[in-house]
Amino acid sequence: MELSKPWQIVRDLAAVIVTALFTFPIFWWALTSIKPSSAIFDKDRVVWFDFVPTWINYGVTLFGQSRSQIAIDSGIGMGVAGEAAYDSRRSIMESIVISVGATTITVIVAVLAAYALSRLRFRGRNAFLNWVLGQRFMPPIAILVPLVLMFKFAGMRDTDNYYMGLVGLMVLYSLINLPIALLLMKSFFDDVPKDVDEAAMIDGATRWQSFSKVVLPMVRGGVAASAVLVFIFSWTEFLLSLFLTTGIRTIPVKIQTFVTSTGNEWGFIAALGTAAALPSFIFILLVQRHLVRGLTLGSLKE
Amino acid sequence: MPDTRHFVMEMGAKRARMAASPAQKTPWLPRWMTSEHPLPWLLPATALMIVFGLFPLVWAIIESLYKRNAATRKLTFDPAYNWTKAFYDDRIWNAVYNTLIYTGVALFFQLVLGMLIALLLDSDRKGYGVLRALMTLPLVIPPAVTAMMFLMMLNGSFGVIAQGIIALGLLPENFSILGSSNTALAGVLLAEVWQWTPFMVLIMLAGLRSLPKEPFEAAAIDGATPVQAFFKLTLPMMSKVIAIAVLIRGIDLLRAFDYVKVMTDSGPGTATETLSSYAGRIYFGGNPDAPYAATIALITLIIVIVTSSIFMKACKVRL
Repeated sequence: MELSKPWQIVRDLAAVIVTALFTFPIFWWALTSIKPSSAIFDKDRVVWFDFVPTWINYGVTLFGQSRSQIAIDSGIGMGVAGEAAYDSRRSIMESIVISVGATTITVIVAVLAAYALSRLRFRGRNAFLNWVLGQRFMPPIAILVPLVLMFKFAGMRDTDNYYMGLVGLMVLYSLINLPIALLLMKSFFDDVPKDVDEAAMIDGATRWQSFSKVVLPMVRGGVAASAVLVFIFSWTEFLLSLFLTTGIRTIPVKIQTFVTSTGNEWGFIAALGTAAALPSFIFILLVQRHLVRGLTLGSLKE
Repeated sequence: MPDTRHFVMEMGAKRARMAASPAQKTPWLPRWMTSEHPLPWLLPATALMIVFGLFPLVWAIIESLYKRNAATRKLTFDPAYNWTKAFYDDRIWNAVYNTLIYTGVALFFQLVLGMLIALLLDSDRKGYGVLRALMTLPLVIPPAVTAMMFLMMLNGSFGVIAQGIIALGLLPENFSILGSSNTALAGVLLAEVWQWTPFMVLIMLAGLRSLPKEPFEAAAIDGATPVQAFFKLTLPMMSKVIAIAVLIRGIDLLRAFDYVKVMTDSGPGTATETLSSYAGRIYFGGNPDAPYAATIALITLIIVIVTSSIFMKACKVRL
């Protein structure tokens, strides 16, 4: 619809203001991450920009620098002990390992199942799809209590074995993300005409060959979109990681430990939070085309 | 369309011909072990869902049938105990109430704001693409981090949002929004609405873009105002899209946990306690009552299933 000139300007302005309102918290967050703590807590300076930018918050959380050492070097003079607790390098590694592992497992499992559900006709097909969907409806808290006991029994807690703890979270993240990935992949397979498989199989390919050599390469975009969504949901998961592991702390859990009895380290929280949002944002821009389809489990196509 | 399809078939056949190995049939394997049968395809997914989904769920149901003695820590079989206890537990009703209020208010704001912003950003003019990309930013931030971010911004003594509200004279000096039982839920909802309104915007934008142009042109010729066109054309044609968005968001809202846990830890008192956070508190507080926690978690599951089934029936949608 064509708007008259003045109305078009009003609309442009409104669009910019609304977007600015929604990006403001992120901007504020990033700004806080380069503020020295004196400026964060000073209520008279909180809305102004009169501070000397500092990278100390990133140095401590991402690179394991000692805050007191930085303070001495730079002469800011705010030496506080206990900076090792804010070194988040291990949490970042754990988050990466768990998210990448979960993404790999989920995508493989989901692609296989989605292909069969899209192509093969068998009894119980709809029941299986409903089961998958039901899995999406299930609140993680409903299975949390037994999972804790199960992991204890199987020696899969991170206090029993660190690596089993990582695997445990990977598998659970695969489970909670399976419905999204599976239904999304099914919608992509459904878009590929059946004639493609039939043509391949008439030429003597087995089901597996027609899947791996012909159909799978045609849905690469879908695989990428599922992988990104699963990665982001694993990267941001909080409840299971909080309750199931004690030694392993993914980034969302680690960041909670910066809230201490002696005061909250907002600078560190902001720095780690900003850094944690970056990879997801880059990934999501790469698959923007399929984003809506993914978020609605394949039921809406753009 | 038929042309591309024909081309695709050609391509497919060509690739398969290249791929076909001399030994195509493997007669020594029974059929259910070959790729012709669904079993090998579905086995990994099935195993995952049985071992880590179904089995713990059944375990939780059985667990909820046991009575836990707080002093001796012994479990005795007493199927009705936890469920009757839950029925007479005022905190559960409070949590149910909070969960429903939380879900209702969040859905309302996310839906209305989402629709309005989508209408605003649905333009092919230069620069709107950037705005749309920026709108997706909140979606990628971990909810637990968003919660921390709003915890800081709502802090009564130095938070930027709280300072803004205080400067407008709406709240007294140094007022703690999250520390007061009247405003705590609103504070938590602010974070929730901020993070997930972009979800609605994206879906509504996709819906708006898929609408046919002709009815709107016809309406404009007949002299319909944009508001009339929105209510008589856009909304009805978008009903399926809206229903799907509400369903997906609603499922997540009914099990709200992250924001509540981080921002208020269900407090002050039980003012922001949702079902998920109550179950977590029972199990991970001191002297954990696992059977009762499982019961509360199952009540959450039942509420999710019942409300979403009613919704899906009433609105005739499915995912």
